[in-house]
Amino acid sequence: MIIEVVGPRLLGPAVVLAIAIIVKGYADVGDAFSAAVIVALAIGLRYVSLGRERAEQGLPILRHASTITAIGLLLALGVGFLGVVRGDPPFTHLPAAGETVITIGSLELITAVAFDIGLFLLVTGALVVLMHHLAELVAGRDQ
Amino acid sequence: MPGSFHIVVKRLFRDLTGSAGILAAMTARTSTALAWAAIAMAAGAFVALLIGWLGGGFVLDLPWAPTLGLRLDLALDGIGALYALLATGIGLLVFAYGRAYLPLHLGQAERPAPDAWRFWSWMVLFMAAMVGLALARDLVLMFVFFDLTAVASYFLIGFDREQREARGGALMALVVTGVSAVAMLMGGVLLYVEYGTFALPALIERAEPGGVTLAAGALIATAALAKSAQVPLHFWLPRAMVAPTPVSAYLHSAAMVAAGVLVLGRVHPLLALNEVLLTALIVVGFASIVVGGVLALAQDELKQILAHSTISQYGYVVVLYGIGGSAAAGAAALYVVTHAIAKSALFMTAGAVTLATDESRLSRLGGLGTRMPLLAIASGVAAATLAALPLTLGFFKDELFFGAAIGAGPGIGAMAVVAAALTFAYIGRFWLGLFTGRPGALPNAIPHLLVLPVAVLAVVAGAGGIVVSPFAALAADAAGVSHGAPVAIAPAYHLDARPENLMALAAWALGGLVLVTAGARDRVAGFVARAGDAMGPRRWYGAALHAANRLSDRLHGLEVHDLRTSLAAVLVPGGILMGLAFAVTPTDGTFEVGPILAGDLPIVVLLALGIAAAITAARDPGRFRPVLALSVLGFALAAVYAMVGAPDVALVAVVVETMLTLVFVGAFAGLPPPDPSMPPPVPGRRFRNAIAGVAAGASAFAVIWAALSRVPIASGDAAAQIERVADAHGGDVVTVILADFRGLDTMVEITVLAVAIFGVAALLRRGRAGTR
Repeated sequence: MIIEVVGPRLLGPAVVLAIAIIVKGYADVGDAFSAAVIVALAIGLRYVSLGRERAEQGLPILRHASTITAIGLLLALGVGFLGVVRGDPPFTHLPAAGETVITIGSLELITAVAFDIGLFLLVTGALVVLMHHLAELVAGRDQ
Repeated sequence: MPGSFHIVVKRLFRDLTGSAGILAAMTARTSTALAWAAIAMAAGAFVALLIGWLGGGFVLDLPWAPTLGLRLDLALDGIGALYALLATGIGLLVFAYGRAYLPLHLGQAERPAPDAWRFWSWMVLFMAAMVGLALARDLVLMFVFFDLTAVASYFLIGFDREQREARGGALMALVVTGVSAVAMLMGGVLLYVEYGTFALPALIERAEPGGVTLAAGALIATAALAKSAQVPLHFWLPRAMVAPTPVSAYLHSAAMVAAGVLVLGRVHPLLALNEVLLTALIVVGFASIVVGGVLALAQDELKQILAHSTISQYGYVVVLYGIGGSAAAGAAALYVVTHAIAKSALFMTAGAVTLATDESRLSRLGGLGTRMPLLAIASGVAAATLAALPLTLGFFKDELFFGAAIGAGPGIGAMAVVAAALTFAYIGRFWLGLFTGRPGALPNAIPHLLVLPVAVLAVVAGAGGIVVSPFAALAADAAGVSHGAPVAIAPAYHLDARPENLMALAAWALGGLVLVTAGARDRVAGFVARAGDAMGPRRWYGAALHAANRLSDRLHGLEVHDLRTSLAAVLVPGGILMGLAFAVTPTDGTFEVGPILAGDLPIVVLLALGIAAAITAARDPGRFRPVLALSVLGFALAAVYAMVGAPDVALVAVVVETMLTLVFVGAFAGLPPPDPSMPPPVPGRRFRNAIAGVAAGASAFAVIWAALSRVPIASGDAAAQIERVADAHGGDVVTVILADFRGLDTMVEITVLAVAIFGVAALLRRGRAGTR
């Protein structure tokens, strides 16, 4: 009962927390991988509490998890090889050390952040794909 | 499950492209468009290369991986122009032929028209790789293109993938040419270690005779000889005849097999440093001429005759490179051109005849001359070219060959006559058997495009027999690279009793004799063919492949026998390898026990909790308690990380631990209840469990202890990197390591993760379909 009420509502706070962890990652404890696992855990709770059908009805983006995985991978690869296009070794992040950086609050806009966002999308998407299929497997067995 | 990988790949492909809709939407018209696009590409490349060569060639030299000394060094010099023009020119005609052939081929096998896209993409990729190989002057770059041709040939030979023979033939070609290609890389690395460069021009300047150049030359020559289907690595070529005819006409006349002698021609100045290598080339070349020639006489299948003829013909070129010197280099270059023109025409003839009559055996064919006159004349010119009759380009190839052979000594000259006689005999048997004599299977009408390319090649070969100078100029230019100095060759008709002319007459007479004495010829050739089947190298290949397969199966069986062996397969080798590493590493000051301070008390308590949890997990017979104990252990360690000043590691540990615990609980909840009738574990097994666990645990313990007693972070290598965290706009070491210092690792890891996810998803979906 408690899970059914609390589970779906935990997703919002989890996403906020994840964003905080990614952003904080550049100044303090946190990184994209942890953020992704936290969001995935919250989504998992949603699957457990609502069941696959309702979980995905209320949040249709879950059905496109494999696309999100692919987008995340492409984003990370693109950022990683951006340097190669400019003639630098791969994973030369921009702007380079010592150059001025555009900041939004404490967030610095550097390519490493984009790489992390790709990583976040990939890991979250991958875990959701797994949950989707496992949930179907369980549903199929129960019938 | 051997098939599961394919399913995974297929799923992955479908998931990535959206659906099978793209493929289904491709109609026969688009596949025709693909064919014309390939033809246009070949034509464009041919014209561009021709203009480039006439304009004096070019050199494109760009750094590729400077730290490894690799360069993208492409040069349109003589030899590059010769092979690149062959690859694109013959490619153009074969593509045109394939445009007519492929729809009929697919129609016969009742395959959908969209299968054509696989054919054309691999054909074009092959052509590109071949041009790249022709122009490359860097050993590593050559190796890359060399392997690319092998990979493309695998898919082309195995194009009819539902046929078992096609898959086997494709695999054999890939294994033989691909494995021996590694020898070429090894040779290149040997030279790099000695002379500090992979670039051939520099190597040729610096290299000196001796052990290194001998070993490197032998390795490179091995790769080249396997690619050119030379004895004893020739057996893959006849098996590769399962390929569709355009593939054989292209790969097995002008391209794939030519790649081997191309490499020989490129690196010839290095080979020529050691006399013994050249002698070995002569031996291998003549062995291939005889084996290929005699076996060609024994074959009944049209394409098999031609395949064995190819083995024999490239033997000529190898012999010429073995003889060395300017005359032989020129002869080799002209030989390659002439053979490619004639052989691709003959392959296309075989394909056209087979498509028209639905019959591929010489014994069931005959008398086609009156029914397919144009094809008969055109392929007659091609056959005459191969048999070196006058008024064809082929006459000059043998003139130069005889000239070089007689220059190398009377013994080699005599062998050359025997070789030419064999060629005359088997190619005469092929053409006469097809187009003259008693009529066999009747031909149906076939598209003109199947005959036209043969006619074009016949015109080229005939024109070359009258005006040889353009071909001679190209060959001389190419020979200049192989010989290392300008080469002048002057093929021409001479109506006098010079040795070349006498040798040619002797060869025709001898060949005619073999052709006439059919009974004796068939007995000898049949005997050699049977002997080769019984104890030839193909048998060794099969035995080696089976042995490797059995070994792999046995290891695999040992590993996946049950859960226990699966775990042991990870733990025991891991433990042993780490133990060995420790045995050979100096351990001074590595194993230190530091003092325990008062402030360390919480850590000690947490570690004690961890130890207790570990013991519970190992000893408890239940299901949930060990899982919970493992999770306690994980959280305790996470807390320790947090306390020793690594909160970022602790955060990762906490989320991973949460995930793992949930997965474990979920999986265990799905298990059936314990079966009380299960027999108790065998005592001996428990003993083995303990040994495996202790081996793995002890070495892990040693590693961690050693790591913890290392110099403090503040003064190690890591310190320098940690100091630079600020440069990467980060304050958190883990984030910066993942995104910056180890960015490439992270990227590869996430790529593997993505592929694994698609694989797991495919397996789960398939598992569900199976239970329905």
